[in-house]
Order: sequence, then C-alpha cells, then structure tokens
Amino acid sequence: MIFNHFQMMVIFALAVSIAFAFLSKHTMAERLRYCVWAFLAFLVVAIGIGWLMYPFSH
Amino acid sequence: MTIADAEQTKGSPLLAIVVGIAGWLVPGLGHVFLRKWGKALAYFVAVSMLALVGLMSHGNVFSYGGDALDRLGFLADVGSGVYYFTSHILFPAGPDVSRAAGDYGTRLIATAGVLNLLCVLEGVHIALGNARERQAA
Repeated sequence: MIFNHFQMMVIFALAVSIAFAFLSKHTMAERLRYCVWAFLAFLVVAIGIGWLMYPFSH
Repeated sequence: MTIADAEQTKGSPLLAIVVGIAGWLVPGLGHVFLRKWGKALAYFVAVSMLALVGLMSHGNVFSYGGDALDRLGFLADVGSGVYYFTSHILFPAGPDVSRAAGDYGTRLIATAGVLNLLCVLEGVHIALGNARERQAA
C-alpha cells in the first residue's frame, strides 16, 4: 500500500501531535486542545513552506 | 528542599528498568505497568501508526554498521522495538527508496523509533518517582 505525500504528512502530523499532547499535558482537555493545535500547525507550516518553495521548482 | 526535590517521591529503580525495557520492546507497554492506560494506548497508536505506515511505504530499516549516518539511522530505528525486529517478517519485500514514498517511509520509521524512546524516557521518569507525572492519567 502506497500513500501519497499529503496522506503521509497527515499521518505524521497526527501521530506526533497525539504523542506530544500526552507527553506534555496532564489533563484530557489540555491534551485535546494541544493535539488539535499542533496537528493544524504541522499542516499549515508544511503547506506554507511547500508554497514558499514552489517558485524554485520552475 | 527545592521545588524539584518536592516533586520527587520515592520511586523504584527495578520498576524503572522493567518499564524501560517493556516500553522499548512494545510501545506503550511500559505505561501499562504504571497503570497509565490512556498514555499507553496513545503511545501505542502513535508509534505503531508511524512505524507501520513507514514499513508499508517500503521505508529503509537501517542495520548496525556503515557510516556515521547509517549508525544514527540504526539508533533511531531500533527505538521502535518490536517493529524494528519484525520488520523483515511483516514486510518481506524490503525497502524501496527509489521512489519518494520509500524515502518518506524511512523518515516515518525513524520518527517512530525516536518518539518511542521519548515515551520510554517519560515512563522511566514516572517510575523513578516524578510526583506530577504520577498524578496525570
């Protein structure tokens, strides 16, 4: 089974966000908030950097 | 007595060793011994997801040897415990880094290992008596 690049990035962001949330926060509400925040931050930063690099690919 | 001293309660070195080895071999198992069910499940799911997707994408699993970067790759990969030792059985086709997916898979496997080592360290820390972590679910 081969995942495309975006799917792999989403899986990476999700797994790392879950682990970091449980490592760094102590209540479920804090963990959930941190997990969502970190997940979205991973995606936004990755897509943002992708677009920043776009002009150099041509 | 400092704040750091106050946060420490008497821990068990033997439990810390058991938690460290169990958590390294099977992600999350160390936290099961500490009765941290939520953390155990979360770490198992997170590390397994990364390792299995990495292996399914034909990522490279480094064996010991080679140059310094290969050895660093080995140290990262071996951190995922059971997934490292059974990778050749679970996915006998082996790595294929001629495609980008295989290269990404290599990174996911390494991330799984390093993340698991981080979780192991946390488990050992709890077993050694970190009071604040002991109270968390």
